[in-house]
Amino acid sequence: MEVGAGNGDTGLSDTVKIPERLLRRDQARLEEAERRKDAKESQTVSEEKSDFFSATFNSEKAAIEHLINTCPGTDRDAACKTLEEVTHKIQQLQKFLNDSMMFLTSYELRQAQASVQKLQSSLAEKRDVALPKKKFAFRSRQAGAAKNTETTQSTAATEKSKSDSVVGSVLEAAISADMCGFSNADSKVLTKKADEIQQRDVLLSHLTNCKVTLYGSPSTLHIKNVRNCQILCGPVSSSVFVDQCSGCTLSFPCQQLRTHNTTDTKIYLHVTSRAIIEDCQNVAFAPFTWTYPGMDDDFIVSGLDRERNNWSQVDDFNWLAANTPSPNWSVIPEAVRTDAWEIAVPSE
Amino acid sequence: MGLLTILKKLKQKEREMRLLMLGLDNAGKTTILKKFNGEDVSTISPTLGFNIKTLEHRGFKLNIWDVGGQKSLRSYWRNYFESTDGLVWVVDSADRLRLEDCRKELNALLLEERLAGATLLVFANKQDLPGALSKEAIREALALDDIKTHHWSIIGCSAITGENLLTGVDWLLDDIAARIFTAD
Ligand SMILES: Nc1nc2c(ncn2[C@@H]2O[C@H](COP(=O)(O)OP(=O)(O)OP(=O)(O)O)[C@@H](O)[C@H]2O)c(=O)[nH]1
Ligand SMILES: [Mg+2]
Repeated sequence: MEVGAGNGDTGLSDTVKIPERLLRRDQARLEEAERRKDAKESQTVSEEKSDFFSATFNSEKAAIEHLINTCPGTDRDAACKTLEEVTHKIQQLQKFLNDSMMFLTSYELRQAQASVQKLQSSLAEKRDVALPKKKFAFRSRQAGAAKNTETTQSTAATEKSKSDSVVGSVLEAAISADMCGFSNADSKVLTKKADEIQQRDVLLSHLTNCKVTLYGSPSTLHIKNVRNCQILCGPVSSSVFVDQCSGCTLSFPCQQLRTHNTTDTKIYLHVTSRAIIEDCQNVAFAPFTWTYPGMDDDFIVSGLDRERNNWSQVDDFNWLAANTPSPNWSVIPEAVRTDAWEIAVPSE
Repeated sequence: MGLLTILKKLKQKEREMRLLMLGLDNAGKTTILKKFNGEDVSTISPTLGFNIKTLEHRGFKLNIWDVGGQKSLRSYWRNYFESTDGLVWVVDSADRLRLEDCRKELNALLLEERLAGATLLVFANKQDLPGALSKEAIREALALDDIKTHHWSIIGCSAITGENLLTGVDWLLDDIAARIFTAD
């Protein structure tokens, strides 16, 4: 088993002979096993609905692929129109997927999400060919400055000075409709529901004095530049990445937690592999206790093991030395742990 | 041991390749390594040090080194440069906020004398995420087209679905083989 990964000075070398054919077969076998596990886990799933979903999804997907493939390469206006239609159709497909996720197995969900993602890349590729121009711009921003104001397009002529202009700036994709989360807010109650975040990558940044509640199962979660906030989130399939937070209370289940440059923060955690801290001070951990209606389903979607919680095994990357415990993190004493989560009620 | 066996052994040794896998922390290096090897990827922890795997692929013996990418570990990367045939640079395509860090770290590596002969494969990983940048956007953000010192290629992939991992490794092997085993 992987836990513990590599260790500093002794390399563990295991020789495995795996011909490509076997590798492929093993891959297929694993996928089949996963499919079967998923089938078992979601007995409540209505097969009829799921069939309807695949049929509709696949025909819509085929239609979009056809549009992309037949998009005229010579007539710029026509191409522009077609690609606009494709963009719209992909958005609709994503919405359909979001609306359907309650009765999909996590395998189906991932497959479908991967298909949508593929369509997005084909669209982007086609757009590059048919309507060549820069796909994204570097946009400078002072830390904490308001987002969504203006995007300044960098011209091809400035290409050479890019390495300078990039410093302290944010890379903004022109096709960034896929970004999901909250940024630049003060003293707000912020909520997202499952259909908005399910299996997506979510970013929370530049928040102060906010209460953030994310219902559902994101694929991954980034929390950056956050002060004095409470952040609750449903089960995160892969990693949670925390950077430059202070005075916060965080609570979520995840596969990995990676905490950086963070101080005076409490983390109520369910982590199936390992939590780490780097350049942190006064970070305290306790087991995850928050619950909400529908969390069981979200756990299934996330694929996380509920029985496996390593919340108290924290690796401090600045404290690898001896057997003395790191001074940078601690366990929250039971007597002072919160379990009454004052949460934002989702508006319906 | 007969002469033939010795010759075979020598030849076998020649067909060994050393691949070094680097990238920022959280990029998905260990997940790629395990997925490629058909192992469980749900129990992977952030790498405190390194992992090494030796596996056989298309008649080549691959020694793959996966070194942790946390900031505090990056200064140790150089300990692994020696006799690297292929550098695999792994990028989290959805982590827009750290693309600039990512570009700088890669640039610094490409100046390293001991990596001068290595072929560069960039994996634009996590393509399964809706917010992932395309491999073209990553290529531009990392200024890959400015690289004149190394053979390179960028491939979009997902360590979770396994998509394109083989394609990437196969390209890398072909490129390295063309450079060093041309005598065959
Ligand atoms: N959605 C998605 N998640 C991924 C992918 N590849 C890796 N991850 C997740 O990203 C997180 C980090 O992966 P690791 O393999 O531990 O990253 P690493 O590059 O080895 O990180 P260090 O060991 O710290 O250098 C894990 O939670 C993985 O499950 C991918 O292709 N798609
Ligand atoms: Mg790792």
